[in-house]
Amino acid sequence: MIYLDAIVSQQFAPADLPAAIRAALGKPLRRAPVLAQLAVLGALACLPAERRSRPTALLWQSTSGPRLETLELLDEVCQGSGEPMPFTFLATVPASAAVQLRPFVPGLRSASTLPLDTEQEANWRLLLTIAANWLAEGRYEQVLCAHLDHWADCLSGHWLALSASPSASTLATLRTSAGAPVTQATDTPDFPVALGRWLSAPAGPSLQLHSPAAPGLTVEFART
Amino acid sequence: MTRPVYLGASGLVCARGASPTAVAAALAAGESGSDWRQHGNRRFPWFALPLAEQDWLTRAEKAICLVAESLGPLPPTTPLFVASSSFQIGLCETRPPPYELPIANASFSRQLASWMQLDGPRYSFSNACISGFSAIDAARSLIAAGQIDGAVVLGCELANASTLAGFAALELLSPTACRPFDRDREGLVLGEAVAAIHLTAKSTPWRLAALRTGIDAWSITGPDPEGGPIAELLGECLQEAGLAADDIDLVKLQAAGSPGTDLAEANALRQVFATSPPPLLSFKSAFGHTLGASGVAELTALLACLDSNCIPATAGFATADPQLGLQPTTRNSSQPVRHALLNLIGFGGGLASMIVTRER
Repeated sequence: MIYLDAIVSQQFAPADLPAAIRAALGKPLRRAPVLAQLAVLGALACLPAERRSRPTALLWQSTSGPRLETLELLDEVCQGSGEPMPFTFLATVPASAAVQLRPFVPGLRSASTLPLDTEQEANWRLLLTIAANWLAEGRYEQVLCAHLDHWADCLSGHWLALSASPSASTLATLRTSAGAPVTQATDTPDFPVALGRWLSAPAGPSLQLHSPAAPGLTVEFART
Repeated sequence: MTRPVYLGASGLVCARGASPTAVAAALAAGESGSDWRQHGNRRFPWFALPLAEQDWLTRAEKAICLVAESLGPLPPTTPLFVASSSFQIGLCETRPPPYELPIANASFSRQLASWMQLDGPRYSFSNACISGFSAIDAARSLIAAGQIDGAVVLGCELANASTLAGFAALELLSPTACRPFDRDREGLVLGEAVAAIHLTAKSTPWRLAALRTGIDAWSITGPDPEGGPIAELLGECLQEAGLAADDIDLVKLQAAGSPGTDLAEANALRQVFATSPPPLLSFKSAFGHTLGASGVAELTALLACLDSNCIPATAGFATADPQLGLQPTTRNSSQPVRHALLNLIGFGGGLASMIVTRER
């Protein structure tokens, strides 16, 4: 059995991100790309301090990816001197978010970035299925799954924290096979918002993410 | 359910050839020539695909079709796992400003799937140099758990100026050549590759015995020079495979010729293998550091070499570095290999290690 410990959804106007970082860390996160800052904010919101040293994996998807940073790089490389500023290039490497996050989550052992290929669609099914597999085999104690986006007018982070063992904060259980009856959810970037609504609604059937194209990757949440 | 995962048919197009067997033959023959790529007033060695096509998109399609041909027929619904660090950025560079990028940053994966004639689920991974192993790790997790029966993992890294310029700005590129583990190594040489491998629950001669990914948070641009995090990950990989260090018959190194990263890798290997390491092999001096494609490209190249019963010499190595205390293969060998370990050290702090085992 896999346990859902936290649901976090965050949205910021770009101008408000530095203040949010200072509020969370007490200092700015210098030289960190926006997606890395979102990763830090979301992970700290999901994990109470006593859980940050436990073996943890992070799986995060993104529709935007470092789109704005890549456009800046293209301008510097193709229209400027040809030699970009080093931090302009580093900001286009989404995987580097893990290095920025590690000092705040010392238990972070692995991180994967999954860029998305279609607008308005997400791969929560994949993230949650892999997370459940890893937790079931004891590879990590907890897995953070996230969707992070950096748009010109809005920054967003949607998070689910899963663990291998129940705790006082457990919100729901997760399994990777289908039961019945169920409420179907849509695999969109803000799926955690829908999951939160389902949890706060009166008791009812389980909530399922399912795709006919990938029937093996069905995940189902049940209330505790 | 937990079941073994096997490595099946593969395809590879890189500077050394347009199929895994052609690449293995070229490596056995010691081929390692590269081209040059101009960047501003500097030029860098560069390993280009051996294709005549000039147009970026036509060239990409040709490479993908060659790889698909090597893979052979697959059910069109086979899940596709794409690994890349640059996707279509090279195509964007060919168009006039203002530059336009697709809204969904991996939208190029849809084009790749179409060229491969796969219309099943697609998943993309962008973990810098370990992207390929991250994608393989995800696919094998689903196969092992019985959630899918097979998958194609595709690594794709195609020519673009942005990556070259970025690495040049960080002064990580060699101005002359790639010299893995060599005393006179000066940096990376980048290259293009498209590679794919079929992962399956059905038995094949090669089993994926273990795969672990990790993080070295020493720096975004390089690992802890002592090699501690790399050694720890290698140990976890051996543990997952149920093997001891002296069971490993060959190590496919990261060894890109980077002064700092080669040192970190050597220090890690000495911690794991003590004074008697197995043969050490690097491909990056033969077809370049292919970044997001490197995991799949180097895996397919390694299996092709081993299937042809040849561990090739590592091109570009001439003088041992006493600080490293290790050196790569200097001549071809037909030493039998049952267990091979593959190591990746990623730009951006990612680490990945894999063990493959010959079953028959």
